[in-house]
Amino acid sequence: MNGIRSSYLRFRKTPAFTGFILFLISIVLNTVIQGFASGNALAFFNPNALSTLITSNAPFILVTMAQSLLLISGTLDMSIGIQIALVNVVCIMIPQELGAPVEVGWLCAILAAVAASLLSGFGCAVLRLPPLLVGYAMTFIIKGVNVLVMDIPQGKVPKAYWKPYQSPLFGFLPVALLIILLVFCAWLYLKRTKFGRYIYAVGGNPRNAFAAGINPVKVQIQAFVLKGVITGIAGICLTLMTASGNPLQAEDYGLRSLSACILGGLGFGGWGSMSCAVFGAGFFVVIQNTVYYLFTLLPKIIPGFAVTSYWQNMVSDVILLLGLFMTIVTAKAQRETLKQGLVKQFRRGEKYAK
Amino acid sequence: MFEMRGIDKQFDAVVALKKASLTIEPGKITALLGSNGSGKSTMVKVLAGLVNPNGGEVLMDGKPIQIRSGMDSRKYGIATAFQDLSLIPTMSVIDNILLGNEPMGSMGMVDRKKALREVNELLERFQIDCDPNDYVNTLMPSAQSMLEVAKAVKHKPRLLLLDEVTAALHHDEIDILFRVLRELREEGVAMVYVTHRMNEIFQICDSATIMRGGETVISAPVSELTLSDIVFYMTGKRPEVSDKNPTVEHHFSADAVPVLDVENLKISPKVKDISLKAYEGEIIGIGGLEGQGQSELIRAVLGEIQPENGTIRFLGKDRRFKAPADGVKSGIGFISGERNREAIFAERTISENIFAGNAAKGGLFSYLKASTVKNFARNAVEKYRIKIGELKNPANSLSGGNQQKLVVARWIAMGPKLLLLDDPTKGVDIHSRLEIHDILRQCAKDGMTVIMSASDTDELLAIADRIYVFYEGKVSGMLSGESKNAQRLVACMMGMTGKEEAVQK
Repeated sequence: MNGIRSSYLRFRKTPAFTGFILFLISIVLNTVIQGFASGNALAFFNPNALSTLITSNAPFILVTMAQSLLLISGTLDMSIGIQIALVNVVCIMIPQELGAPVEVGWLCAILAAVAASLLSGFGCAVLRLPPLLVGYAMTFIIKGVNVLVMDIPQGKVPKAYWKPYQSPLFGFLPVALLIILLVFCAWLYLKRTKFGRYIYAVGGNPRNAFAAGINPVKVQIQAFVLKGVITGIAGICLTLMTASGNPLQAEDYGLRSLSACILGGLGFGGWGSMSCAVFGAGFFVVIQNTVYYLFTLLPKIIPGFAVTSYWQNMVSDVILLLGLFMTIVTAKAQRETLKQGLVKQFRRGEKYAK
Repeated sequence: MFEMRGIDKQFDAVVALKKASLTIEPGKITALLGSNGSGKSTMVKVLAGLVNPNGGEVLMDGKPIQIRSGMDSRKYGIATAFQDLSLIPTMSVIDNILLGNEPMGSMGMVDRKKALREVNELLERFQIDCDPNDYVNTLMPSAQSMLEVAKAVKHKPRLLLLDEVTAALHHDEIDILFRVLRELREEGVAMVYVTHRMNEIFQICDSATIMRGGETVISAPVSELTLSDIVFYMTGKRPEVSDKNPTVEHHFSADAVPVLDVENLKISPKVKDISLKAYEGEIIGIGGLEGQGQSELIRAVLGEIQPENGTIRFLGKDRRFKAPADGVKSGIGFISGERNREAIFAERTISENIFAGNAAKGGLFSYLKASTVKNFARNAVEKYRIKIGELKNPANSLSGGNQQKLVVARWIAMGPKLLLLDDPTKGVDIHSRLEIHDILRQCAKDGMTVIMSASDTDELLAIADRIYVFYEGKVSGMLSGESKNAQRLVACMMGMTGKEEAVQK
């Protein structure tokens, strides 16, 4: 019992705590509302529905995880969304135009994402341009490349590839969840290596990291490369989900992944971990799901209730905004602890002065 | 073991070090002393690899070495505990201590168990009460300072540089630190100890090197030095020699209402208990080593920071300004030494810069004629004979000294009752400095009250009618008339009030 309590207290101190609480709240909300809407109290936990929810949102969750890696090392990439479209385009076009095996297309797609990330990383880390500007510039560049490679939405993925991805293993385990877990395990390993320590140091204070013998430019570039690999995986997931190509999709993933990271408790530079990203993205996804069911529930309660689907977006965005406010409140709580520490320090000083 | 010979360093026109030297021996703690701007911090930074000297050489075991970066410094076995801390606040204690020095386990992973064991040993040795997994930004400042030293010691250095590490520590923690330092001395580690607390020198140091104006004045065993010797070498002045300065002796009747009356002000963590009074037409100096609460006091009066305790009476009324705008409206002017951050609009013209303070007073959308701005600026410049070039040029076309004059012009043109200056002549050449002094004196003669903090002791002595000296958040002395001399000032800056001087040898 004591062990549980102390590990809970330790967890409370970690940055992932707010994201975790938000995630829990969203799940409870979703369970209740979806329960009422479908007349089945545990409708949310229905394996099929849950599996579809995870599978269709896996690209977004993975992108958020990739973005968190950059945020930890003190930078960010807004062009990550359109990079997914790049991966999607390469995935489709290499087999279609060159007749190469699908796997070769995937490999090329991941390499394309890494190359795009390297270019962003060069702008942010080496040239020290503001990451937001680099992100916007890269968005336009990649968009141009995408349209050059694939002028209109087209193409298809062989059923032998998308079918296994979309149908859960053993009837309950979504493949997408396995992929997310795999990436997360890779993070758990990385976190325990020198690289893991260094990205936190560079994000926290580049000057002091440099003084400790770390090369901040190198570390940030490495983070960009890793982010590129994860983006590549996310793009392949997207391709398998839609089973077609579209050069101009997912652009808003850049901004959305960033807000999901902040919701999950990540700060700019050295604060937070990848679990923050998972919780933040989870909150994002579940809230949107909840609001969808809310709008199917309302007409049942209020006869004659009919609104356009734009209201759904607005309501879910307002809830997300509230979530963002909550992160400010918790940041304030952290400030309070700091202040208490100072007061304590002060009292102690007086005690010993006597 | 380590020797620095003839080190020169200039920052632009400012000479920080002039043929400075320092000899460091193994198993000895060398105190490096000097007042503000004497170059002691620069000497430490040269050894730490943060400052590259313009001339001179550093020798290790008799062979010249080049320290160009922090990496080089580490390579030669030098570890530094910095005054402004080199910890990364968003990382845990364990990660901070072992950063760049992690024990490696299998598969390229950091050996958590070994790391934890090493860090726990270290925390125990320094008796730092914290969980190794705590984030550094949640620790108290004193614990952070101890960690900074622990981190440096973890590198097993041959030479340990300690730059004012005790500034944030409490008595009991200092005792622990000294115990560890003595152990290290037994092990043969050389140490350079920079401090402004005189009693610590006699407690722990073996020899002392005293610097003044970038030069090494004397190196001697501590046992051969007395406290008054140290103060003499630091100031370089005999107490009998009185400075000639044109300060005015003010005599106020007991019922005169001070323009500013601060009582028992407390702002954690720097200001503990400060009281001071300033009367009309007075120039009050605030002296002290850097970071003893001078800036905080000035900003609290202005309304930028809110004090926890105490009263601020301005023109006889209790006032607590919520924001600098309130203070300015009530007749307070503020000139900051941090020109670029807090005063200058670099891209805008000189006349706009001068008008800026006045513009803040008017309505937001009230129409402003270009000629109003120009005339206002011209009047201000002519009235106080400020020579700052073409009014239509951008502010960044001026030198640092002239920029500061521009800020002075901005505020005195508004005619505040009380003018606050926070180290206004930082990095300002001597000529502009004297001009600013003249302007301030003229303002005081016209009835303005001036409160000015300065890190330069000579400057304070030259301009202030009375000097309040701050030490660790308290007023350690108020100097006026006869007592206003360099020796008293430095003694107070070191926290030696009359009583303590008698107790010390």
